[in-house]
Amino acid sequence: METSVGSSPSASSQSIDTIISGFEHLGYVTDRSLATAIYLVTQLRKPLLVEGHAGLGKTEVAKVLAAFLAARLIRLQCYEGLDISSAVYEWNYQKQLLAIKIQEPSKQTVEEKEKHIFSREFLLERPLLQSILVEEASPVLLIDEIDRADEAFEAFLLELLSDFQVTIPELGTVHAKHVPYVILTSNRSRELGDALKRRCLYQWIDYPDLEKEMRIVRTRLPGIEQQLAGQVVQFVQFVRKLPLSKPPGIAETLDCAQALIALGKHRLDPEAVEETLSCVSKSVEDSAKIRSAGLERILSLPTGQ
Amino acid sequence: MTMQGSKVFAEGSDDAARTIVAFCRYAREQGLAGGVQVTLGGLRAALCLGMANRETLRSGLRAVICSSKDEWELFDQIFETFWDPVESKHSQRVPRRQQRRGVDDSDRNPSTLMSGAVGENQAEGQGSQESAGASELHRLRKADFSTLRQDDLAALETIVLRLLRQMSARLSRRQRMATSRGRLDLRRTIHHSISRGGDPIDLRYHKRKPRPNRLVILLDISGSMSPYSLFLVRFVYVLQKHFKQVNTFLFSTELVEITRLLHARRPPEALRSLSQLATGWSGGTKIGACLSDFNKLHARKLRRADTVFVILSDGWDTGEPEMLAAELAAVKHRVHKLIWLNPLLGLADYQPITRGMSAALPYIDVFAPAHNLESLMALERHL
Repeated sequence: METSVGSSPSASSQSIDTIISGFEHLGYVTDRSLATAIYLVTQLRKPLLVEGHAGLGKTEVAKVLAAFLAARLIRLQCYEGLDISSAVYEWNYQKQLLAIKIQEPSKQTVEEKEKHIFSREFLLERPLLQSILVEEASPVLLIDEIDRADEAFEAFLLELLSDFQVTIPELGTVHAKHVPYVILTSNRSRELGDALKRRCLYQWIDYPDLEKEMRIVRTRLPGIEQQLAGQVVQFVQFVRKLPLSKPPGIAETLDCAQALIALGKHRLDPEAVEETLSCVSKSVEDSAKIRSAGLERILSLPTGQ
Repeated sequence: MTMQGSKVFAEGSDDAARTIVAFCRYAREQGLAGGVQVTLGGLRAALCLGMANRETLRSGLRAVICSSKDEWELFDQIFETFWDPVESKHSQRVPRRQQRRGVDDSDRNPSTLMSGAVGENQAEGQGSQESAGASELHRLRKADFSTLRQDDLAALETIVLRLLRQMSARLSRRQRMATSRGRLDLRRTIHHSISRGGDPIDLRYHKRKPRPNRLVILLDISGSMSPYSLFLVRFVYVLQKHFKQVNTFLFSTELVEITRLLHARRPPEALRSLSQLATGWSGGTKIGACLSDFNKLHARKLRRADTVFVILSDGWDTGEPEMLAAELAAVKHRVHKLIWLNPLLGLADYQPITRGMSAALPYIDVFAPAHNLESLMALERHL
């Protein structure tokens, strides 16, 4: 694990600024805390665990990082029951069966035949193996929603993240040519094991404050009217304070703003709220809570922007 | 990683290294994670980032040292206190770890209920001669817990252990039979077919690994349950010894997890410290609020596919029935099966019409009595 230890502090400060502006250029508004963590990912080559509520752009971090580094993005979506054969590798059985048939008349010994059908040609590379086999430069490996996978897979991942090598019994051990930049995301639906957490850098992404959310809306929807943007953001910030089962994230703010633009609205009034409520609230109970929360007050506030 | 402490820093910046090491140690004292790895990580981060920019250093150290939301939220204050000890109110912060330790160390007046449990343990020695004949055993299996004598309890515990042994044996056999022929293992099938010209004559199968259900038990210890709770705690204790994955909680006005306590080797001590944990021991009941606590704090540990959730309560609730219904709905969403065991259901004329109970009924998969041993052992059918 080589790190460019020689980088001077002022260079680091510059690099962090570059990350912030580079990410913003790619449409991702970030703060110094996240940018510092990403800088450390590139320097210390440790995985970064990003936790936070749904819809706050956790997955986006990896995508933008890949674009920023001009690196390949390899994504592993976790789910309950995820196993080695869909995460690391699998043999192409149909092709193997065919190959055995084709080889039948040949004079090869059983050992030679076996060696042939268990060669790279018959190997289906799944995301984790792909990330190790990348030839040209370090890819970004996104392990999405790790909290959905079970403990057994987590333990396997831990091993992979420390050695960056995979052993395939029929082929031998494959080492990574370029250690990937690893981003893990979690919705905290389950607590992760201590060992995995200790291995990672950590970043908690909270709901953005008014100012940051305004910047995000303006970056992502450059055409939006100032007044409308201000109203939408204030509305969503207000809704987040209600005791909802699923508070809206940034994704919902953007959905809502986009819906309003599509409907040709210039300002957010009760009618417009009703029409776009489905963007912000994801359940009947939440919708009822929002309706009864005294929207007039928040809608009549001056936007101040 | 060959870097060692101060070697990471250039000559002359020993002070900086020493500061980082001191900070890591301080953070650990304040309840954050610590250890050589964390400190080394901190040093390397500081080396990358430099000490000049406080904000950057804070972000970097936070990313390295923290590994959960709770730690994340603690960090800023710890960082401030360490670097500007004068400005912040150092003395007001009580380290988390010490707080926790305090709870365990204090050893004051165990409640009457628990002293009952301790006294009963002394009777265990005499009672465990297993002199209980068939008719006696029959009587005990049917007896309502609220009518039992102290010395019956020990005998009951022996019976429970014996029955549980049968019960878990039956459980595992059932799983094996159901999955005797799993998915086709193509990898091994092909391996074996090479020597037969590629014809898969012997099929190989994956055997499904049996995964035992996880049990979550919420035991009501409010006043109205007191005739039953003494025995039910002991039942849960035995249950937990027998099943690997059991999480146990007590509740009345507050929710307390006692899983670790029940793992203690000697139950009387564990039970005595219980009385200090549970502030609402034999007080009123707020089932909805306790379930809300559960949903907020503990539900994340569950996986829907394999969790059976058991509530042992009589359903007398002083909280809002709407809240109870909403929280139960949330629990139901998270678990495979929701079982409510109600001791009162053993009474001939009982109707579940208390406000709490009737609010809860729509969300319950299994509603069963829990007034005697036989009814508890019937739990097996639902696991």
